[in-house]
Amino acid sequence: MKKNDFILIAGLLLAALAAFGGISWYLAADTQKAEAVVEVDGQEKGRYPLDQDTSVEIQLEDGSYNLLEIKDGRADITEASCPDKICVDHRPVSRRGESLVCLPNKVVVEIENGQEAEVDGMTH
Amino acid sequence: MKKKYIMSAALLFSALLLAVLSRHSSFGGMQRYEATFLDVFDTVTSITGYAKSEEIFTEQVELLHAKLQRYHQLFDIYHSYEGVHNIKDINDAAGRRPVEADPEVIELLKLGQDMYRRTEGKVNIAYGSVLAVWHEYREAGIENPQNAQLPPADLLGACAEHTDISKLVIDEGAGTVFLEDEEMRLDVGSIGKGFAAQRLAEYAREIGMEHVLFSLGGNVCAVGAKADGTPWRVGIEKPRPEAQGSYVQAVELAGRSLVTSGDYQRYYEVDGRRYCHIIDPETGMPAEFFPSVTVMAEDSGMADAFSTALFVMGQEEGLALVEELEDVEALWVMEDGGIRCSSGFGIDEEE
Repeated sequence: MKKNDFILIAGLLLAALAAFGGISWYLAADTQKAEAVVEVDGQEKGRYPLDQDTSVEIQLEDGSYNLLEIKDGRADITEASCPDKICVDHRPVSRRGESLVCLPNKVVVEIENGQEAEVDGMTH
Repeated sequence: MKKKYIMSAALLFSALLLAVLSRHSSFGGMQRYEATFLDVFDTVTSITGYAKSEEIFTEQVELLHAKLQRYHQLFDIYHSYEGVHNIKDINDAAGRRPVEADPEVIELLKLGQDMYRRTEGKVNIAYGSVLAVWHEYREAGIENPQNAQLPPADLLGACAEHTDISKLVIDEGAGTVFLEDEEMRLDVGSIGKGFAAQRLAEYAREIGMEHVLFSLGGNVCAVGAKADGTPWRVGIEKPRPEAQGSYVQAVELAGRSLVTSGDYQRYYEVDGRRYCHIIDPETGMPAEFFPSVTVMAEDSGMADAFSTALFVMGQEEGLALVEELEDVEALWVMEDGGIRCSSGFGIDEEE
């Protein structure tokens, strides 16, 4: 191999590394934009970035409610008026596509953007 | 000679770039999208798929949604709908007359008859009158936990007299269904979602969706693999009410279905004891062999039926049944948190 070949290969490797770095950075940037999207009966009611701790009371017209807490980059329903409390029992979510659902109140909190989830779906 | 080096360097570069790109969810111009709705089968439906644009995905999902709403109406045992000949109509006419039934309802009931035979009666769609009693007591108990009660044994016993599936008479030529026993009621809860999921998978392919994962209340069905060709990863939920959303095991799924039956999501408590919604037809009481069982099969209807059947059998008895069947595999989560699997379940050992 000639000297030029080394330079070429090193150059290509560097380019690949740069591409890898660029895409990793892009994915990381995605993570920063992770937000919890609140929907009630199919209608979007609000978006809350996961990097800002907050507490949102999702109020329904009939007096029902779900309390959404965002803390340490994770979204969690900590209190609700529904009888089954499945939404409260659900573990906090933080990754793209993960969601918290309250069927009785027709509330869906879904994570958009952010890190890829470990699984694509769940059977229960 | 030099050309060779350049070629191999270029190949190396493309391989690296491809490896990097495949980590990203966009592949071949396809983006990943999700949709959720809450108005079908009284549960959560979620659809994850890939499409060239959000508009295309939304259009496809609307078609799937409409299809599901139709099944929801056809299989409903509590409500009637204008112009729809559903299961409630059949129940309402029990002992009186045959009623017209939608061809897909007839298909579903035939699956029910077949599953009764294949599970030696563990899955019985004619068990509706007993299930209705449990449903009523469970709903009342969830609404008012202080006064939660068990159904009286004599009431359950009386209802159990009217669960003979041979009294379900299907006349395919006339397109009618008749329940010969006036007190008998159909309840297709053990197969309805699975049947709908299977039909939905076929329909998704017809409308050009080749990479879709959908969940009808936890009945998961994978149409094809992900857009990059890798299988979908589906978690089997930890069977504890307070651990919703965590999983005990991830399973790789492509072109197959995964259905779990468990005691931890739909249940009520009486005097501090949990009573789940799946009733063992042998005892008329909720099954309590183990916390959950998950079935993998190509056909979603079969997966749904067998998960119910296995839930009302001891683990060893169930394992023996599964090992006799082709294309049906199962994973049990035991009370101590341990996992048992049939020989072909093929769980991801790296977990």
